[in-house]
Amino acid sequence: MFSFTKEQKVFDISGIKIGGQPGTYPTVLIGGLFFKGEPDFDKAKSQLKKMYDLSRRIGNPSMPDFFVRKEEFIEDIVDFIEKSTPKNQPFSVDIIDPNLKIKILEALHEKKLLSRTVYNSIHVGTTDEERKTLKKFTPEAAIIVAFNPKDKSPDGKIEVLANGANLLDKGLLDITKEIGIKKVLVDTAAMAPGDNSGASISAIPVIKEEYGLPTGCAIHNVVEKSNWLDDFKDARKPVDAASNINIPLFGGDFAIFGPMHNSDLAFPMIAWEDILVSEYTESYFGVEPCDFHPRRKLF
Amino acid sequence: MPEEYYPWGGEFTACNDKSCVAVVLLNIDYIPSDKVAIYGPLKTENIGVEKIVANVISNPHIRYLAVCGDEIRGHRSGGSLVALNKNGIDKNHKIIDAPGAIPYIENLNEDAIDRFRSQISIINLIDVKDKKQIDKIIEEALSRNPSPFGEPYVAIRITPEAMIIDDKRALHSKIVVDYMGKIKKRGK
Repeated sequence: MFSFTKEQKVFDISGIKIGGQPGTYPTVLIGGLFFKGEPDFDKAKSQLKKMYDLSRRIGNPSMPDFFVRKEEFIEDIVDFIEKSTPKNQPFSVDIIDPNLKIKILEALHEKKLLSRTVYNSIHVGTTDEERKTLKKFTPEAAIIVAFNPKDKSPDGKIEVLANGANLLDKGLLDITKEIGIKKVLVDTAAMAPGDNSGASISAIPVIKEEYGLPTGCAIHNVVEKSNWLDDFKDARKPVDAASNINIPLFGGDFAIFGPMHNSDLAFPMIAWEDILVSEYTESYFGVEPCDFHPRRKLF
Repeated sequence: MPEEYYPWGGEFTACNDKSCVAVVLLNIDYIPSDKVAIYGPLKTENIGVEKIVANVISNPHIRYLAVCGDEIRGHRSGGSLVALNKNGIDKNHKIIDAPGAIPYIENLNEDAIDRFRSQISIINLIDVKDKKQIDKIIEEALSRNPSPFGEPYVAIRITPEAMIIDDKRALHSKIVVDYMGKIKKRGK
């Protein structure tokens, strides 16, 4: 459990606080709605309700992460976001295809939802056209993925943030600044087992001390790719949720914890860890937990 | 199966190690006949492509790589594999003209990629899902029965040099942490 010398930024993203010294704000939990095939909005609605209820009860802020795979689903998913998520809560959109990313930005702009949007994500594959569209339709915040295909160590991750690691004309942080996005969350890019998967966790304190920015990752992806766990079926879901504990333990601020239906395990586990961190950081560093911290809510 | 075959592991099924055809499955529920050398899924346009390249060049009998099924959305991994075979990589190790989002080859050296481009001809069946049609095309390739491409090529995985740490460092060379957990930048 750590405290940082570098001043730590705290962002207010459409009503949720993220960042700061460990122990101040609880870990923000980002749950995915993947919509495999035709989106099932009734199921999504009940998963959202469960996640928001857990968030209110426990204290960890939550944010839905909407995956969009096909252009034909954009309109329906954006409509669903508009109608089914609270007006005072942020959400993120997670899209891989650069062309779809451009189209969703236009759709979010038309629905006046950009002030609640966390763009997931800006990375080494971000195209010039995407940058231009982001300048025109600028979301409230963005997740920057510090993936450096040349060097997956914490140094490689910093290099891609700082100068683009010779893969880009400049660093991802400068690109994001030029676009005009002021609220930046750094995702340390969890890699598959066997590909320096631990670096995404060890990079958290390095990046926070370097930049003071809210930092986290999708460490559960490493569990998903650990095929040997198929022989331990009962353990898979608890291990998946428990992997997220590494993030607050190493000073991180957010966990992209995977499918939203795993909220029932992820929220209490992370709240438990946040309480542990808070007790230590308050006693040794004088860091007081905020008023909605699980340590205040659950005692 | 010779020990040097398929050294990079992954999700695949090895069948006839003397066969000239390997099959990459994109989004498709299809099992090729056991007359092929190896088949398995491809997911990502970087690490996934690297594993396929390293594994197929380890078996010199493989001369054709059939890539079939619906393209992987977003990643465009099938198109990126085809582009690697056609165009190679640029000075930043990016696959030239690859359609994928992050198509970088970082763990294979250029010799391995040259070998892949020389040894392997791609049978581009991206977006083809008709299993009978795929079977027929694979059968045709099998019947050509070309000679093996020399000796097995065992690709070395490029790994960054480990940093030699010459003092007591906790966590990372860029930061230090005191006994209570206070972090600061090294040297400040």
